[in-house]
Amino acid sequence: MAYNDVEILFAEDSEDDAMLTIRALQKSGLTNKIYHVKDGAEALEFIYCTGAYALRDINDHPKLILLDLKMPKVSGMEVLAKIKEGHLKYIPVVILTSSKEDPDIKKCYSLGATSYIVKPVESDNFFKAIKDIGCYWIILNQPFKQ
Amino acid sequence: MYKEERLNELVITIRELAFQNEEKEKRAAELVIANKELAFQNKEKEKRASELVIANGELTFQNEEKEKRAAELVIANKELAFQNEEKEKRAAELVIANKELTFQNEEKEKRAAELVIANKELAFQNEEKEKRAAELVIANRELTFQNEEKEKRAAELVIAKKELTFQNEEKEKRAAELLIAINELKEAEINIRKLNEELEQKVIERTVQLETVNNDLESFSYSVSHDLRAPIRAINGYAKILDEDYAGKLDADGIKALKSIALNSKKMGDLIDDLLAFSKLGRKQVTVSEIDMDALVKSVREESLYDDNAGKIEFTLDKLPLAKGDPSLIKQVWINLISNAIKYSKYKSKPAIGIGAYEKDKHIVYYIKDNGAGFDMRYYDKLFGVFQRLHSQEEFEGTGIGLAIVQKIVHRHNGIVWAESKPNEGTCFYFSLLAGQTGVSVLTPKTGHHGLQ
Repeated sequence: MAYNDVEILFAEDSEDDAMLTIRALQKSGLTNKIYHVKDGAEALEFIYCTGAYALRDINDHPKLILLDLKMPKVSGMEVLAKIKEGHLKYIPVVILTSSKEDPDIKKCYSLGATSYIVKPVESDNFFKAIKDIGCYWIILNQPFKQ
Repeated sequence: MYKEERLNELVITIRELAFQNEEKEKRAAELVIANKELAFQNKEKEKRASELVIANGELTFQNEEKEKRAAELVIANKELAFQNEEKEKRAAELVIANKELTFQNEEKEKRAAELVIANKELAFQNEEKEKRAAELVIANRELTFQNEEKEKRAAELVIAKKELTFQNEEKEKRAAELLIAINELKEAEINIRKLNEELEQKVIERTVQLETVNNDLESFSYSVSHDLRAPIRAINGYAKILDEDYAGKLDADGIKALKSIALNSKKMGDLIDDLLAFSKLGRKQVTVSEIDMDALVKSVREESLYDDNAGKIEFTLDKLPLAKGDPSLIKQVWINLISNAIKYSKYKSKPAIGIGAYEKDKHIVYYIKDNGAGFDMRYYDKLFGVFQRLHSQEEFEGTGIGLAIVQKIVHRHNGIVWAESKPNEGTCFYFSLLAGQTGVSVLTPKTGHHGLQ
């Protein structure tokens, strides 16, 4: 199934941002399997294998979670809190946000965010930032393997 | 033998007896003479006896007389004896009286001696009394003098008392006036308190309103930041995709249009960033400490000249005094002013930038002078406005937020900022800060200067 053996879970409500981000990751040479969910609720269903993802292998965890903060239904902050209080808290969670104004940078780190990235407007910088994230978290960083 | 001895003794005894017979015959012859003598003497004695009888009568008579006389003498003797006894008694009494007198005399002598001592004592006491009397005389004079002084003083006191009474009356009048004044003050105080309470209530209400406005502004800023940036990023990103993947299918005009999309979306992003940075300033707490302005300006100069034609600009930096301010904000002021000076001097063949300072009324006025493009002072009131520009984008790039940020930061420090300029001759910007002292304080944001203006 498409949602098995996912290495990067990517939660982003903006189709455009999602497309640009995935493109940037692929362009940077990453071949790891990326799965895109459109809001926080879907992200939680995917991670905990409930709802639409009930059939997903419960022992199959992503190596990295990219999380937008401002999403409908369940916000990125809530998803982060949920992940970091449970048995999956070892998974690195990188916050990707559009805004420098987010009042909760401190709160995100307190909840256990691994990294906090503001997406640049300018495409060159944006692609570079995404590429750097992919390179660091998937290639340089040694994730926990089950 | 024995018979011889007896014969001797008988011879001696016969001779003795012959001698004793001779003696007895002599004796008998003598006794016949003595008898004749005695017969004569008897006759004489009888004569004598008759004479004696007569003498005896005489004597008897005399004896009787003598006995009478003796009896009288006995009586006289008794009398004398009685008189003697009396005399002896009297003598004994006299002895006692004498002893008494002697004792009395001794006592009198003792008493006399004591009296002598007592006399001396009295004499001494008298002297002392005289001395004391003399002293008393002096003391009396002293007292008299003091009494006079006291009387003078008493007179003065009477005057003083009158004075005091007068003053007391004045004071009472004043006290009464003060009482009225105090009551008035109390009333005023009560009024002020009421007003204060009303004011406090108003302040609380206003603060709540301001907090609401502030929260609204924050969520507005967040929305602007998040929701405006996302589509611009998309525009910029898709333009990039077109450029990368489809450039070959576009002609020169198409590529130019694509580049314009990229450029403008980037500019839009920059504007949003600047706008948000500016609105953030109004909410940021200003933490004031002492700033080593020399070091700060030098570091900003190094950073600003890094990617520009550094060698071309003649940069003079005077010694700058310490100031009080928030170092990160004041650094932003210098970044904006120095980059402005560099930017507006870029068409000059010999650009020159000078930085200095002077003291004025506990404040330090810092200035930065350039010989760049300058501006027409007629448009001075637009100089510090948000997104106001006095030069075209083509001539000098920029969003028009830099000087607005400078002014906002200086105002947040209770300082002032101003400029003098002439077109094509250059501009001098001035800003003032409190002179440096030790200590750190916090300037709270002024109400009414929040967010976008």
